[in-house]
Amino acid sequence: MIFKFRSISKVLILRSGENLYVRCGNAVVRRFSFVLNGKPVEVEVPPAYTLLETLRNVLHLTGTKDGCSDGDCGACTVLLDGRAVHSCLTLMAQVEGRSVTTVEGLLRDSSPDEVQSAYAESGAVQCGYCTPGLIMATKALLMSNPRPSVEEIKEALRGNLCRCTGYAKILEAVLRVRR
Amino acid sequence: MAQAQRWVGKPIPRRDALEKAIGQAKYASDLFPEGLLWGKVLRSKYPHAKIRRIDVSSAKSHPGVVAVFTHEDVPNNRYGLFNKDRPVLCDDKVRYIGDPIAVVAAETPEAAEEALGMIEVEYEPLPAVLDPLEAMKPESPKVHERGNIARQTRISFGDVEQAFREADVIVENTYTVGTQIHAYLETEAGISYFDENGRLTIVAGGQSPYRDRHEICSTLNIPEDSVRVVIPHVGGAFGGKDDISVQIHLALITLKTRRPARLVWTREESTIAGTKRHAGIIRMKTAARRDGVLLANKTEIIYDTGAYEGLGPAVLDVAIENCNGPYKIPNIDISATLVYTNNYVASAFRGFGAPQVLFAIESQLDAIAERLNMDPIELRLRNALRRGDVGVFNNKLIGSVGIAKALEIAANHELWRERGRYKSETARPWIKRGVGVASAIKGYTLGALPDKGQVGVELTREGKFRVRVSSTEIGQGVLAALAQVAADMLRCGVDDIQLVFADTLETPDTSVTSASRQLFLAGNALADAARKMLDKMRHVAAGLSGEPPEVFDFLDGYAISRDGKTRISYAEIARYMENNNIPPHVVGEYEVPRVEPIPGTLEIPHLFYMFAAALALVEVNTLTGFAQVRKLVVIPDAGKVINPQTFQGQIEGAAVQGIGYALMEEAKIENGILKTQNFATYLIPSIKDAPEIEVIPVEDGEETGPFGAKGIGEIGIIPIAPAVANAIKDAVGVRPTSIPITPEKLYWLIRSKHGEKGSH
Ligand code: FES
Ligand code: FES
Repeated sequence: MIFKFRSISKVLILRSGENLYVRCGNAVVRRFSFVLNGKPVEVEVPPAYTLLETLRNVLHLTGTKDGCSDGDCGACTVLLDGRAVHSCLTLMAQVEGRSVTTVEGLLRDSSPDEVQSAYAESGAVQCGYCTPGLIMATKALLMSNPRPSVEEIKEALRGNLCRCTGYAKILEAVLRVRR
Repeated sequence: MAQAQRWVGKPIPRRDALEKAIGQAKYASDLFPEGLLWGKVLRSKYPHAKIRRIDVSSAKSHPGVVAVFTHEDVPNNRYGLFNKDRPVLCDDKVRYIGDPIAVVAAETPEAAEEALGMIEVEYEPLPAVLDPLEAMKPESPKVHERGNIARQTRISFGDVEQAFREADVIVENTYTVGTQIHAYLETEAGISYFDENGRLTIVAGGQSPYRDRHEICSTLNIPEDSVRVVIPHVGGAFGGKDDISVQIHLALITLKTRRPARLVWTREESTIAGTKRHAGIIRMKTAARRDGVLLANKTEIIYDTGAYEGLGPAVLDVAIENCNGPYKIPNIDISATLVYTNNYVASAFRGFGAPQVLFAIESQLDAIAERLNMDPIELRLRNALRRGDVGVFNNKLIGSVGIAKALEIAANHELWRERGRYKSETARPWIKRGVGVASAIKGYTLGALPDKGQVGVELTREGKFRVRVSSTEIGQGVLAALAQVAADMLRCGVDDIQLVFADTLETPDTSVTSASRQLFLAGNALADAARKMLDKMRHVAAGLSGEPPEVFDFLDGYAISRDGKTRISYAEIARYMENNNIPPHVVGEYEVPRVEPIPGTLEIPHLFYMFAAALALVEVNTLTGFAQVRKLVVIPDAGKVINPQTFQGQIEGAAVQGIGYALMEEAKIENGILKTQNFATYLIPSIKDAPEIEVIPVEDGEETGPFGAKGIGEIGIIPIAPAVANAIKDAVGVRPTSIPITPEKLYWLIRSKHGEKGSH
């Protein structure tokens, strides 16, 4: 499926060689292909778009949150080829041909991943805006280190800000799923 | 028969938690209506300037731009809850950096952004007033026509001067408190559209749908029933979404273009244009007798409300009300001033004016204890308010007062009893440890102002209940708590309660979600609704069975006769109602009892108060001035805990915000320009800064609350800064009087005190 930049129908479309360029205001778009939550997708977005802008503003896959667009809060954390990245700092060119997992992609046959359940059951979710990012950071940590120490957990999650919980229940949630 | 409590008091996970954890919960910032326009706001570049001319013509003709709005498009261009001093879009002047001047609506975010740069604004810069003390001088440039004193009042009881003459010890200090930014993870966001019935609908992060609707309709001059305001899940608020942010601008775009719109503030925009906690200066002179009995407290409070009042007048009231701490003091004298400056707008923030003054009074108490060579908890206990006491405003405390109990728990806690050992456990000689204590008090419910709320309850065809409240879910878990309360009141399972919330079309006005009162107010209105509903159902059960209504009681979704022989399910009752055209819904109401406000105030005193005590173990690196909280014990007076998990989470979260307030969060404002506009420069606590936190509730029971519960949303932050400051004093022998206690400040404080001795 090809997802297009929102206002594509209202603007001039130009063809040049293989790539489809679309002018929109002063924006030019380009096509990118990658695997999203296990399924191949193609999108046409301005080349300077970040993965976060593409996920939220174009695909409307809004589980991934935007807390700062600047790499400072971790709310936008997703897995890129299994590693946690800030999708707000990841340009679409870096995503080309690679595999992206978002919080929606953790569901298996619509049942939640154990990390998702652990966050919900431990009371680690209040307003919940930091939660998807924290869950993805936790997932990445446990994939590389199934038995992290408290210090290692704090180190792995230090870039994920939460303004609501005071972090105690977040730590509890991670300890709950640690092997 | 005693009310069965099957759900209240259980730590069941919140119903919205899983939905949020799997990324399905929709926040205002997650909505993209079909065919939407992207809104962007042009903001002032000057802290204070006349607007000579605004030219939007080239922006309007930019490709992709659909409309550009200025003050000329706003019929009533002033709003505000106490004083209509705030423009929707600036006309005569700009009064702070960030003041909105124009709104662009475009087909793409890029086009909107580009158009902002094409709007020409001709300014005539005016001298800016940035220091509240300067602003108070009559010769100072005026932020508003009415002058820079937004509110000023003086309240006194007894004779402080006489008491100072008779006192054995007097402590006098000036405290300064910095601006705190809410820094919720979701910035101010919303969408707007016309629904299928032609109703202008605004879905935006907020705290009070009815109040937001009122501000939209009064500024745009449209009837209230033509507008619907919905507040979905909100990604944090803490008071910062109590004021209008995106709502009126969104309504304007959709109203004029007839197209859906989306407006989401950037992080920088949120830190600049969002409201803040009031910075202030607090001078306090406190007197005590040799035996520790407090005799007098004289307080001068100056709060900087920035360019507009917002909820500032009410915030000042809370400061006045709580600046004497939870103590009996026979002579008090308070002068309080709310000052306009060209700084950022301050309004509501968790604690609402109390954290600042509690930092002052709790530091004072510690200094007095030290002068008298008395245990600081003992001193506090000697003066602590108890139920039935007369407070500083001659007000009788009829509600529960748990502060003495909280302080006793603190005194017996091992962190306090063995503080000598804790202090000695440091690895290096330049690392010093200290343990500090502080109390907190804050009135809850809105106070002497009329405060009334409604809740609707409906029996569905399946025999379940739909509960309608306009309470907003800002992360605090009020919906989960209400579901538990409703399940017990309506005698059914918690899963049989469906909550409809925060929607002016679907829910009655439960009043605003602030002042830690939603649970209290909505809970009591719910109790009224539940009573009415069960009464109705009792009569239906009687009609169905031929037995008299009084024999029926309710349990687990059944009406059961006293002899247990007749059992009628709620579903049967619902069917009967439907077949006989008995309306299956009721509305419950609750009005908070109140007292006459004392002269010179808006709404104090409150009838109900919440309290807390806290202990902090702090470690200071004397070489760098870096202070770190190692352990916190927070002892809130909770009345009754409805859900231990949500309760703990609220207290822990507030405590860590308190650590940020005490040590880290420094909003640097230079010449009216906020230098800390993002999370890289405005540092809020990370998981690395969060210490071990122990929460010990005092459950004394407030019989006027639902199942004895009090509001607890705010109390957790209030005692933290003073407890941390007192611990620092204990560790290094110098008393911080300015928060945040940044490494730089503390380093110089330690250095400056080196030569001196015996200072407080
Ligand atoms: S949105 Fe990416 S780090 Fe904040
Ligand atoms: S739960 Fe609100 S920011 Fe973490």
